[in-house]
Amino acid sequence: MTGMSQMSHDLSYLIPEVIVLIAGGGTLALEMLRLPRAALAFAIVGLLLAACLTLPLLGVDTSVFGGTFRIDTLSVWAKLILLPSTVLSLLLVRAELAGSDREGTVYSLLCFTTFGALVLAGGGDAMLLVLGVLLSSLGAFALVAYPRNDAATEAAMKFFVFASVTGSVMIFGLTYWFGATGSTLLADLAHLDKAPLAAAVGLVAVITGLGYKASLAPFHFWAPDAYEGAPVAVAAYLSVVPKIGAIFALAQVVRDLPSTTGWPLVVASVAVLTMSWGYLAALVQDNVVRLLAYSSIAQAGYFLLGIVAVGESPLAYSSLVVFAAAYAAMNLGAFAIVQGTGRTLDAFSGMARTTPVAGIAMTVFLISLVGIPPLAGFVGKFLLFGAAIDAHFTWLTVVAILNSVLSLAVYLRIIVPMFRSGGDEGEGNVIPPRGNAPLIIAVWVIALMVTVGLGFAGQLILATVARA
Amino acid sequence: MLPIVSMTLFLPLLGALLVMASRNASARVVHGIGIATSALTLAGALWIWLRGVQPGAFAQVEQVDWMPTIGAAYRVGVDGISLPLVLLTAVLFLLTFIFSAKVRDRPHAYVVLMLMLETASIGTFTSLDALLFYVFFEVSLVSMYFMIAGWGYEDRQRAALMFFIYTLLGSLPLLLAILGLYLGSDPHTFDMRVWIAHPPLTGLAAMLALVAMLFTFAVKTPMFPFHTWLPVAHVQAPAAGSVILAGVMLKFGTYGLLRFALEMTPVAFRDAAVVILVFGVFSALYGAFAALAQTDLKRLIAYTSVNHMGYVIVGVAVAALATSPAVRAIALDGAVLQMVSHGLVTGALFFLVGMLQDRAHTREMDRFGGLLKYVPLLGWSFVLAAFASLGLPGLAHFPAEFQIFLATLRVEPLALIVILGIVVTAGLYLRAIGKVFSGAPREQWATMPDLNLREVLVLAPLLALIVAVGVAPSWVLDTVHRTTAALRF
Repeated sequence: MTGMSQMSHDLSYLIPEVIVLIAGGGTLALEMLRLPRAALAFAIVGLLLAACLTLPLLGVDTSVFGGTFRIDTLSVWAKLILLPSTVLSLLLVRAELAGSDREGTVYSLLCFTTFGALVLAGGGDAMLLVLGVLLSSLGAFALVAYPRNDAATEAAMKFFVFASVTGSVMIFGLTYWFGATGSTLLADLAHLDKAPLAAAVGLVAVITGLGYKASLAPFHFWAPDAYEGAPVAVAAYLSVVPKIGAIFALAQVVRDLPSTTGWPLVVASVAVLTMSWGYLAALVQDNVVRLLAYSSIAQAGYFLLGIVAVGESPLAYSSLVVFAAAYAAMNLGAFAIVQGTGRTLDAFSGMARTTPVAGIAMTVFLISLVGIPPLAGFVGKFLLFGAAIDAHFTWLTVVAILNSVLSLAVYLRIIVPMFRSGGDEGEGNVIPPRGNAPLIIAVWVIALMVTVGLGFAGQLILATVARA
Repeated sequence: MLPIVSMTLFLPLLGALLVMASRNASARVVHGIGIATSALTLAGALWIWLRGVQPGAFAQVEQVDWMPTIGAAYRVGVDGISLPLVLLTAVLFLLTFIFSAKVRDRPHAYVVLMLMLETASIGTFTSLDALLFYVFFEVSLVSMYFMIAGWGYEDRQRAALMFFIYTLLGSLPLLLAILGLYLGSDPHTFDMRVWIAHPPLTGLAAMLALVAMLFTFAVKTPMFPFHTWLPVAHVQAPAAGSVILAGVMLKFGTYGLLRFALEMTPVAFRDAAVVILVFGVFSALYGAFAALAQTDLKRLIAYTSVNHMGYVIVGVAVAALATSPAVRAIALDGAVLQMVSHGLVTGALFFLVGMLQDRAHTREMDRFGGLLKYVPLLGWSFVLAAFASLGLPGLAHFPAEFQIFLATLRVEPLALIVILGIVVTAGLYLRAIGKVFSGAPREQWATMPDLNLREVLVLAPLLALIVAVGVAPSWVLDTVHRTTAALRF
């Protein structure tokens, strides 16, 4: 095959990514023309088109550009999950920031950040990991800082400093891997078993870099502050899209990493720390956005149960993908309701009586986050537990299960006031809908359908993963 | 063949959707839908009963693919152990709906939750797929949480929270055990029939799975020392919630003990049977003595549940220890019948306490006296149910407990110390009847109205069934025995 036709062959697999880039660029151009609505429409159409064009890739397992980018279960499903999630985030942003200065730049930044997350999820090369982290971070700083008030600026600053340090550590550690294997390809990590020290340094560094992105403890400190300072819609986006990208990237790394490096135990320890820290911290939050931030930290720990099983259990990939889809739906849904209701726990008081449908929807999202059947979160966590036990990490599953009990206490802190009778005094705190409430409702209705539907139709995803 | 099991299972859910769709309907209409749906469900359960069970296998199995990739499917069916419990569930729910027809506080949500609970309960008993079982098991938990939190008494939020967290903590080990059994089966499947026919785990793995399951079912049953949630939840739950909680949901624990622990890890269960027996005996005695110390009628009945469910655990443990199939069948017949009897008797008692509380707004025994004079129907109903509860021959508990004790005598005579529980419950019920219904009448209750038509409609079928099971238990036992006699493990 000549170089040229190899190139076009490779590019044909990257059509979705290219379209996302075009969507981001076009959106920016339309914003310069001061056409925010057109920018929004362009971004949405582009992302949905990219998602549709990903469908034929289901079941493909190959790599392009000499193995540096992988087209496999994880990267294909990352597109199918993250692109619609970005569209929902765009709607939430529109509802929150419509009419504000430079609104269109937010849409454009969301597209570019999602592109970074997609690069992460399919990364087959250490350089691509760095690129992905940078791409998804640069846009995120600006997104957090967008409101240009003190809180947002401070949040973005913390976020930026944290990202710079962890990013540098990651690059530093990756040089050890490069030195030991003579290649930046992740597929060559298999040679690392001869260089245990280099392997260990690199492993810690990669977990630091990706752990920050996925908000794994102890690299999560930026998340609650950033989410709190940012617009709620941006917090919703950050808690879903870059996080799933980074988790999938971690799965790509450990796929070829020899288990003699001890990575499964390291990842399992991080999982324990992340789940427990996240939920314990969430127990004392009074701000719902901060509570959901800590909850999303803890949920990241659950993802790691699928990571430890990579290479050990056939359930590993299916559990990661199903839980990613479930997590995206229930978390976006919960944030959407928060955006429409208010950031304090008081705002939820008596909600089940004042706006019963939204109250029930919120209950469904939170109960799904706990992992109670028959909702999507249950199917995801169930598969994760199965994968971890299959990989002989039963003790980790026990810890995860105990954390699920703790999580019930966390989420009941929102559910209980919603159903409290006579809690109408909270009504004064409810943020009046800003004329874009239909958009918010549309988002949580879609999320609700996925959260309930995926509980029954997990087979839709499982079938494609099994084929791959 | 009509898929009658599935139709019965999902009828309540259909009713719930109907109620949700008719948001502007009046409370009367909503309760009407609830009663009609649960009556149809009872008809469905009777239909399943008429079709009957077969020895050595599950009958009336209905199956649809769900997640074939991981070996999960929608599989339902019945055998002699689950079928009586399905019928009991359908009866109790119908009566509960009739009893609750007075609820005027958010009737829509109330009926929807109760109907969801009914589907979840029937589903728990009819599931033949472990994943499906777990789904129904947990949905029942969530529905009951909202039931207690929404319509309970003074301290309902705390009680509901305790119930939810305690039983979720209790049920998650079951998930571990299910995953263990799943990964141990080859090819991987969640089909409970396969797990029963060829127990997937052996040795230490089987013992660990058994311990996890025992924890789950001990919390649910509840068995000492995991029973502490029960009195709190019962006292705060609305009367209808208490009836379902005690009459139906406690059986999830003993049903699971039988279906999962005994049938899927039989060897490990036999090894641990003596320990389980000791716990059962202790739980039964503890429940009886704890009940003796209560002054609140509802707490008293809640603790007698611990006592009665303890006998079921004794029956199952004795069955595991028994070497002769005949003795084993006697023990299991007794255990299953005990579940049915307890559902009927405790259901009646909780209804009666609820009716008393509606009238007097108190449940303290000391505040009553001589009520037989003012409310003879209510009083005599209570006396009958209480006599049934203390195990009087001719009433529902007697044939069940008799068989359990008979098998115990043959297998482990020392364990017969548990009979002491009967003496204690007899004492405490006589004391309760003496304080509340006989003795010197108190003027303040002179205007208390006796049972109205709705309440008679609720109680009459239950009391008739209590007598029917007590006098001629064979109409239930024949079905049970067909399965228990063919069990091989």
